[in-house]
Amino acid sequence: MTLADRIGAFREVVEEWLHGFYHGMVEHPAFELIEKEAEDTDDAFMFGCFADAFGIPSPVSYYTVELLPYLADDFEAWERRMWDRGSLLERKGEQYHVH
Amino acid sequence: MEKFVFYGGKGGVGKTTVSSAYALTCARAGLRTLLVSTDPAHSTSDVFDQSFDDDPRRVEGDENLWVMEIDPEEEVDDHMQEIRRRMSDQVSAGIVNEIDRQIELAHRTPGAHEAALFDRFIEVMRDSDEYDRVVFDTSPTGGTLRLLSLPEFLGDWIDRLVQKRTKSIDLFEKAAIGEREARRKLESDPIVQHLKRRKEKFEFARETLRNDAAFFLVMNPDELSIRETDRAVESLREYGLEVDGLVVNGVTPDPDEDDRGRGGRYLRERVATERERIDHIREAFDQPVVAVIESRVEEVKGDLLADVAAELDVEVEREPPRA
Repeated sequence: MTLADRIGAFREVVEEWLHGFYHGMVEHPAFELIEKEAEDTDDAFMFGCFADAFGIPSPVSYYTVELLPYLADDFEAWERRMWDRGSLLERKGEQYHVH
Repeated sequence: MEKFVFYGGKGGVGKTTVSSAYALTCARAGLRTLLVSTDPAHSTSDVFDQSFDDDPRRVEGDENLWVMEIDPEEEVDDHMQEIRRRMSDQVSAGIVNEIDRQIELAHRTPGAHEAALFDRFIEVMRDSDEYDRVVFDTSPTGGTLRLLSLPEFLGDWIDRLVQKRTKSIDLFEKAAIGEREARRKLESDPIVQHLKRRKEKFEFARETLRNDAAFFLVMNPDELSIRETDRAVESLREYGLEVDGLVVNGVTPDPDEDDRGRGGRYLRERVATERERIDHIREAFDQPVVAVIESRVEEVKGDLLADVAAELDVEVEREPPRA
């Protein structure tokens, strides 16, 4: 094995380690956080569409209910989450958990 | 005169009579006219002695006049069925059952009738190429006003929903670092597409109502009706719509000169009070009084309708559309 080969192999190992390190430090917590914020924004969107599910009369729900065929799964999960205070607090609290 | 003419006002003031009379005038002047009734009681059938339904039907004996009766209740049910059908096409039965409650709820909200009517109005206005004039006899609730304010109000709302949805999709895309596939993508998002189509519909309605529609309010010569009309004019103005004229309907006729009996005295007194009120209406409102129509003993239908029509001083000819 030549010196160049050995240096090359070493660089590969270092690169893999560095990438793993970077992913663990930056990428992973970042995409989780961003995704959580995306989910929160989605919750707000759902609330704007279906506030009447929580007893707040909404003049648009007649129109937004048309979105349900695309939103069915999300809607069901969202409604369950929102009605269940325990899980909602836990879910919101999680966001501020330090990784 | 604009292509679309709305007659509004409280229940029982005689909107159906006035709008039928106006539609008849237009038709007899040679304009292909469609009269759209939204009154659940559907008195247009009585006025023309003929039954109508959801599809425009020609009035017997008047070749230029068509009438359609929209039933808001039925519209709401159709909408609900349509959503249920699309749901069962797309998602599993379990989920459909879970969500059914929400579908019911959305169709039982107080605004559902208006929303359904509004959708139907947009459809009628869009498909009205074959008519020269479309006359709307709008429902006797406060809903009429809300109906006309919907495009303004809903446009903003939908903007906000689109913003929220776009933002969450954007975040989902950002979260998809490296190899990860984004959970949602903007260009293929059916929700944003649907909302945008809705918004276009509302914009069409707003433009049409602003540029190609005239509004008349029908009232009776009594205090309550005057106050009500005043409020209606104000609310419409808030929504950016101007009332073009007022119709005073159900005015007490003069008694015969030599009638000195109790009936004659009663009528004379009543006529005097009403005359004062009509003068007041002419002064207090910016809008012109386009007709003062005496009340009739018999129901207004048939030949009587033509008599009433003659009392209406509302233009028939169509102005070139405003730029």
